[in-house]
Amino acid sequence: MSPAVRKALIYLAIAVTAFIFVAPLWWAILSSFRPNDAIFRDLFPFTPRALLPEPFTLDAYVAIFQRGFGSIIANTLLVAGLTTVLGLIVNALAGYAFALFEFPGKSAVLGVVVVSFMLPFEAIAMPLYSVVSQLGWIDHVAALVVPSVANGLAVFLFYQFFQQVPKDYYEAARLEGAGWLRILWSVYVPLSLPTCISAGLMLFIFQWEAFLWPLLAMPAQQFKVIQVGMAAFQDQYTTAWNQLFGAAVITALIPMLLLIPLQRYYVQGLAGSGIKG
Amino acid sequence: MNRSPITLLVLTLAPALLGLAIFRAYPIGLAFYESLYTTVAGERTFVGLGNYADLITDAGFWKSLRVTLWFNLIINPLQVALALALALMFVQKLPGMAVFRLLFLIPIGISLPVAVIIWRIVLLPEGFLNGALGIVGLGPYRFLTSPDFALYSIIGIATWKGISYWMIFLVGGLQNIPQEINEAARLEGASAWQRLWLVTLPLLRPTLLFVLVADITINFLLFAPVFMLTGGGPRGSTNVLMYEAYKSGFVFGDMGRAMAIVVCLVAMLLVIVAIQFRLLSSAPSKEAC
Repeated sequence: MSPAVRKALIYLAIAVTAFIFVAPLWWAILSSFRPNDAIFRDLFPFTPRALLPEPFTLDAYVAIFQRGFGSIIANTLLVAGLTTVLGLIVNALAGYAFALFEFPGKSAVLGVVVVSFMLPFEAIAMPLYSVVSQLGWIDHVAALVVPSVANGLAVFLFYQFFQQVPKDYYEAARLEGAGWLRILWSVYVPLSLPTCISAGLMLFIFQWEAFLWPLLAMPAQQFKVIQVGMAAFQDQYTTAWNQLFGAAVITALIPMLLLIPLQRYYVQGLAGSGIKG
Repeated sequence: MNRSPITLLVLTLAPALLGLAIFRAYPIGLAFYESLYTTVAGERTFVGLGNYADLITDAGFWKSLRVTLWFNLIINPLQVALALALALMFVQKLPGMAVFRLLFLIPIGISLPVAVIIWRIVLLPEGFLNGALGIVGLGPYRFLTSPDFALYSIIGIATWKGISYWMIFLVGGLQNIPQEINEAARLEGASAWQRLWLVTLPLLRPTLLFVLVADITINFLLFAPVFMLTGGGPRGSTNVLMYEAYKSGFVFGDMGRAMAIVVCLVAMLLVIVAIQFRLLSSAPSKEAC
């Protein structure tokens, strides 16, 4: 095979793959701008007009927000924001302790932390329901936030980063009389901003995408978060196709707005989780 | 300022470790404990391993286990192979690749429930895919309501959403392979295909193993697509164990049976995680880093 033919074949494969990734999304986006009775137009027989947003209308988005999707977004931002802030504090503190202090049984405890993040949250969602109902938190926001704050992966990321900071920094700051909390805040945290961003993104996206746990923990559905809200929307308005697409587009858009500019840090964080292997 | 290191340690470690103990470790213990009880008409009675014994003779459980294993037997090799193909495309140096790379990453930002909603409409008999297949005279197919197709449609949706994520790890692994090794093989006259099988894949082995096992743990617990699309049907063809446990506990109120199933699932997963540690620590691990 000549190099030119090979290159062309690789290009073709890449283009076809990209098309498979993008086509359903593109159809969803443009359909969210169509009136509901025009969604399936131009498909049988298939014409290229099926890939254009016409006729164009914002009706779907207006209807979604009239049906309370705005408060669902606000709820989710609250839960994800709280988890991110609390999670950064709690997990950074633990990572700091693991990196700076020696104590008996340290490697065993670290091992348990690592195993805890290799077992996905879904595995314990149902028994967690029993724990949270013993605490009386069912249908309270605390049920969504508190169990997700301590995160083994985030602890591990901070531990890994803080370990690489030369101990001299700590010793020097100590000699100048700074307390441990002050050292963490004014020496370690400024150095670890990339780690803070990757851990923060991870905590935020985890909450934004949570489905099974909020489904179990909030049975009254008074306080809905976005993935569950969307699924309920799907049950309720089965054939409001353009609104379903609109809800899906909004739900995907918000993490994308964070991920696209901060992509580098997210990938770094993921790569960090692979290192321990 | 004058706290002893012990107080310091406790103060810094306690919040995270307590959180992990209460919300990660304790639920696993509690699941086992509750699996030893049964609730009949509001009365909790101790039945020992009775729930497990019931599972062994329960045809519904075995069918669900079969669906789960079959599902995993297909989806995991498929996802790893496609993620690898995607990673190999991702690292190509061709004009315009920056745009394609961004497109490859898009599904990462999409949650599984969003992917499910979009695909449910795409896969309708009157939807986009059947329209596109109509160009070449195929279909229309009932992708989600036929027992022959439903499980494979779920596999397709989860794969579409999942492989970009796994691709990232494999791209990292590929970039850690020194260029000189490939170059040397090329000068020795190895074809691109030979270089892939004899140089790249052996060096990528630790990363591939990590991705395979991490992928299995996710897919063993797959829930959202079954819940949102098929409810385990048609005719039980998509009734994976995770959904069976959910139905048991939260629809039929039989928490004992639900917890027994969860314990079985977690036990299977722990075995898989243990195997991962084994395989990865015995592998030449330089490339994993």
